[in-house]
Amino acid sequence: MQIAIASGKGGVGKSTITASLLYLLKDEYRFVAVDADADAPNLDLLLGVERWEEERELIGAKVARINVESCIRCGICQERCPYDCIKVIDGDYVVSELTCEGCNVCGLVCPVPGTITLEEVRSGVVRKTMTRYGFPLISAQLDVGRPNSGKLVTEEKEWAKKLMGELGLEHMIVDSAAGIGCQVIASIGGADLTILVAEPTPASLSDVQRAYKVVQHFRQPAYLIINKADFNPGFTALRGWAEAEGIPILGEIPYDRAIPRSMSMLKPFVEAFPDSKAAEAMREIAERVREEILK
Amino acid sequence: MQIAVSGGKGGTGKSTVAINLAIALKEHYDLVLADLDVEAPNDHLLLGVELASEEPVELFMPRFDYGKCTRCRKCAEVCEEHAIITMRDGTPFLMPNLCSGCAACEIVCPVPGAILPGKKLMGHTYLTETPYGFPLVTGRLLEGEERAMPIVSRAKKRAQGLGKELLMVDTAAGTSNTVSKALEDSRLIIAVTEPTPLGIHDGELILKLAKLMNVPAMVVVNRSDLGDVGKVREIAEKYDAEVIAEIPYSENIIRSYVEGKPIVLTDYPEAGLFREIASRVVEFLGGGE
Ligand code: SF4
Ligand code: SF4
Ligand code: SF4
Ligand code: SF4
Repeated sequence: MQIAIASGKGGVGKSTITASLLYLLKDEYRFVAVDADADAPNLDLLLGVERWEEERELIGAKVARINVESCIRCGICQERCPYDCIKVIDGDYVVSELTCEGCNVCGLVCPVPGTITLEEVRSGVVRKTMTRYGFPLISAQLDVGRPNSGKLVTEEKEWAKKLMGELGLEHMIVDSAAGIGCQVIASIGGADLTILVAEPTPASLSDVQRAYKVVQHFRQPAYLIINKADFNPGFTALRGWAEAEGIPILGEIPYDRAIPRSMSMLKPFVEAFPDSKAAEAMREIAERVREEILK
Repeated sequence: MQIAVSGGKGGTGKSTVAINLAIALKEHYDLVLADLDVEAPNDHLLLGVELASEEPVELFMPRFDYGKCTRCRKCAEVCEEHAIITMRDGTPFLMPNLCSGCAACEIVCPVPGAILPGKKLMGHTYLTETPYGFPLVTGRLLEGEERAMPIVSRAKKRAQGLGKELLMVDTAAGTSNTVSKALEDSRLIIAVTEPTPLGIHDGELILKLAKLMNVPAMVVVNRSDLGDVGKVREIAEKYDAEVIAEIPYSENIIRSYVEGKPIVLTDYPEAGLFREIASRVVEFLGGGE
C-alpha cells in the first residue's frame, strides 16, 4: 500500500508526525519511507540519518545559454521568453539560470542559428539509506534555483518501488512536499490514500483544503490528523470542515514543547519523550492507522 | 526598489515577519506587499482581509485544427515537457497537465492555423486594500495545476505595476526557481530561520541562493530559544549575512496570529522587535521618511 502524508504547507508538524508514525509502525510492518519534499527535505534529520549509502545525480533540468560572440543583440529572445528570464547585462543578453524553465522558446526564435543552446544541468540528487530504525529511507535534494519538478519525486518513488521488490516490503509511506504544485501532485498521485495534517488556524485550514482538492482530484480517501489541537480552542472550522467533507479524524495531538525539543535532538518525539502528552496522542493515532488503514 | 522576505523551510514564521515588517515599514515608505507563496498564500489571512480584485492568469495551450495539421510531428518533437503525444500516423494530442504554456509548439508548426491558441486557467492574482495603509498583491495557483512560475511572475508584475516606492515580496519556502523568480531584483533578502538543525539546514540553502543571485541578506532568527543561535550566526557569517534579530518563542505572537491582529500593532514587547528589524532595513536601504 502507498500512503501519502500531506498538509498543503510546511510548518504544521507534518514531518515530525511522519517520523513518529514511522517509529511506531516499524516493528510490525515492513515499509520504505520516502521524503518527497526535495526542496527542503528533513525526514533524514528527524530520523537521525548521518550518511547516505547511495546517491544518484539527477540530470534532467535544462537551461538556455546565449553565446555572446554570435549574438546580434536583436532582443527577440528576451521579448519572447514566456517567463522573463532573459536580461540585458552590460549590453549582453544573458539567461538567468536560476529562473529559466528550459522551454527553448528563445532558441527557436533566435535568428542566428547556434547562438542559443539548451544545456542539460543537474537538478539535484536522489539518495538512499537504511535508517537506524531498520527501514530504508529515500530522500532527494533539489539544487538551488532549479525548477521544482515533480520528476525528482517520481524518481524517488520509482527507486522506492524497486526497493520494495528487492526487500519484500509491503508499504510505501511518502512524506509529501509542501504546497500544491508538481511535487505534491507527484507525491499524492499513485497513493492509495492520503493522511492530511493540519493545525487549527485559518492559514492551515486554507492550505489543507487546497491539498485536499489535489487528493480529490486523484479520487483517494483522505484522513486527518489535527496537530496543536488545543492551541486555538475557539477555532472549530477545521473540525467542522473535516466532518462536512466526511474526512475521518485519526486523532488530535496537543501542543507540547516535547515536539520542538525532540526536533533539536534529531529523534522522533515518541522516542525522545515517550511519556509526553503528544506521544500518548501519537500512539493512539498509530493504533487507528493499524486498525483502519493497514489492517 | 524591492526587498524580499524568504525562509528556507515552511512554518518558520516567514509570513508573520513579512506582514509585521510591512506594517512597520509603512511609516517609512509608500509600499506594496506581494505574497508570492502562490501554492499556499497566507498573508491575507494574517492581515485579516479577504482577497479582492481577482484577475485570472491564463496560459497558452495548443489546440489542434486536425483539418489543417499535416501530422509532421514537429510540435511533439520540440515540446520539452513531452506534453504532446502523437499517434502512429502522426496525429498530435495534448496532455494538458504537462503543458507549460511556452508556445514552442506553435512557433515550430509549419502550417499556419494548425495550432490554435487555446487558453488554460492556471490561477489568479489579487489586489487587496488592507487597513494598514498599503495594498497586498497575492498570487494563487489553482488546485491541481502544477506550475507556479507563471503565477509568481504575473503577481510580481501586477505589484510592480503599482509603481510604489518599495515592493516587499514574501516568497515561497525552499530554493526552487520560483523562489529565485520572486527574489530577482531584490536589494535585500531577509531570511527567516529557526535555530533548530532543520531550520539551520534550510536557512543555509536560502543564503546560498542569495549569494548566487548576488543579493545581500540579513537573518532573522525566529523561535530563537528553541536551539543554538550561535550555529545560525556561524552559517550567516559564512555567507556574509548578519543576524539582525532574535525573536523568542512567544505565546503573544501565537495569540496575535490566531486573532488575525498583527503583533507589531499591539503593546506586547515583541512589537518592539519588529520595529527594530524595520529600522535596520531602513538604515540599509536609506531613503524613506
Ligand atoms: S529556455 Fe525558455 S525560459 Fe529559458 S530563457 Fe529560453 S525562453 Fe526563457
Ligand atoms: S534572439 Fe539571438 S541574436 Fe537576438 S538577442 Fe537573443 S540571443 Fe542574441
Ligand atoms: S505550449 Fe509548450 S509545453 Fe505546451 S504543448 Fe506546446 S511546446 Fe509543449
Ligand atoms: S507541427 Fe503542426 S502540422 Fe505538424 S503535427 Fe504538429 S500541429 Fe500538425
